[in-house]
Amino acid sequence: MLLIQQLVNSIMLGSVYVTVAVAFTLTIGILNFLNFTIPTLFMLAGMMGWALSYYGLPFGLSGPMPWPLALAVGVVLAILASLLVERFTFRYLKTRYGDSTEHAIPLVSSLGFLLILENLVRIGYGTEERRFVGPDADLTLNVGGLFIRVPQLISLFVTVLIVIFLTMLIRRTRIGRGLRAIAENPDAANILGVDTKRVVPVVFMLTGLLCGLAGALFAVNYGEVSPLMGEDIGTKAIAGMVIGGLGSIWGAVIGGLIVGVLELMTVHFFGADTVQVVVWGALLLTLIAYPSGLLGHNAIGKGKL
Amino acid sequence: MLEVEALNVTYGRTRAVQSLDMTVGDNEVVTVLGSNGAGKTSLLRALQGAVGTSGGRIVFDGKNITAKSPAARVKAGMVLVPEGRQIFVSMTVNENLLMGAYLRRDDNIERDLTEIYDRFPNLAERRHMSAKTLSGGEQQMLAIGRALVGRPRLIMLDEPSLGLSPLYVDRLFNLLGELNKDGIAILLVEQNTSMALDIASRGYVLELGRKVLEDRAEALATNTALTEAYLGGSDGDGSARVLDEQP
Repeated sequence: MLLIQQLVNSIMLGSVYVTVAVAFTLTIGILNFLNFTIPTLFMLAGMMGWALSYYGLPFGLSGPMPWPLALAVGVVLAILASLLVERFTFRYLKTRYGDSTEHAIPLVSSLGFLLILENLVRIGYGTEERRFVGPDADLTLNVGGLFIRVPQLISLFVTVLIVIFLTMLIRRTRIGRGLRAIAENPDAANILGVDTKRVVPVVFMLTGLLCGLAGALFAVNYGEVSPLMGEDIGTKAIAGMVIGGLGSIWGAVIGGLIVGVLELMTVHFFGADTVQVVVWGALLLTLIAYPSGLLGHNAIGKGKL
Repeated sequence: MLEVEALNVTYGRTRAVQSLDMTVGDNEVVTVLGSNGAGKTSLLRALQGAVGTSGGRIVFDGKNITAKSPAARVKAGMVLVPEGRQIFVSMTVNENLLMGAYLRRDDNIERDLTEIYDRFPNLAERRHMSAKTLSGGEQQMLAIGRALVGRPRLIMLDEPSLGLSPLYVDRLFNLLGELNKDGIAILLVEQNTSMALDIASRGYVLELGRKVLEDRAEALATNTALTEAYLGGSDGDGSARVLDEQP
């Protein structure tokens, strides 16, 4: 029974990894770009949600906000930060100093953004963990002896909705076709009138939205935020994405859940220190058996969505 | 319809197209001939805005579009069917056609798709299948169909017959004739010189980025010095190939 309870918990934890892994895989699938600012966007939503509900706006512009409003503003800030990253790392540096196949410049500059934003938050609010007072995180349902915390259930539900929404957006809409065209053949897309400058920011908005929601849900569920909260989640989400297959949204879902399960099972059987070894060991083993991940395609960088 | 004045296209230090003047009249079929590296592909890509120009003017319908984006040019009514077809193999046939209507906001897209499917029954059968299941000839028809969904008045084609079976080469040129009858002007870059000159009213010959000859198509077809020097002969059976343009 304890084991099944752990399984339930790990699916809940995995759903946080899923959302962040989907953000990673979306940028890789469409733009062939490993966006290192993703963990910071996650942290930004959580930390700003905390700061706004604890202090309110800076310079005394408002008193402490109610937590749902504070988190909503945190999510919006994550989206804005993501657009800033698009404008100054991806678009500007790439078009000015690289050709369309240049990967290193946006990658390194996004790493720069990660460190700058993380440290700005540390300068503003310190490094220690903060307690986020949201809804009653201990509100639980008892389903046949299994305890399911209500906020976690809601998070899982939101995660599922986001993934379905994204899949529909990419499969069924005009903007989704534009994104897939850019993913497969940017040159042909351009010739047909797909304006990269208008479509690429959509990817970054979605990235900000996904990471922001994940950060907000994390704050609500675990009741703790810190400027470093993105790092652990970020590395595990990357592992989940690679296990599932680069560029595959459903691969990211499966990979994120696998990492969640592996993590809590490892904690259960071997203790917390072993988690990274098991997760990354599983990643290497997966790649040996399935070089493009569980659901990935062979081609790297072309038409992966 | 299209006027090009003193056009230059430069990649780094390579001059792909040099001070080129050319025109395509309303509802005219014009062909551009020349061996590999003559600058034909660069010319078409510059006309569509996929590469920048380093001098000269491109005027479409009396409007200077030299600095306009490819999207603006598609909206204005010109579309390029690129070399190698460049269809989206990760999409279905129908989605590929919808990409041709990417910039359209009107309600008649479905009607135009039906028209395309009437024209290409092979595509209609496979509309919901992945475009990579199509044969080379069908892929070329899809690439042209995709361009047509954008309702162009000028269609530019880059080596459309490359790699096609003789049957599809015939179909292709019949199709181009029909499109021209429907009022679409055509700018055709082709390696199949005899068939290109057959369908065109005028032709330009490029060499190393420069125009070396322009004339009526019949005159070019009978210009023996030209056919021997650049075009590898024209024996009129549709199978003539320029030697150094073999894939």
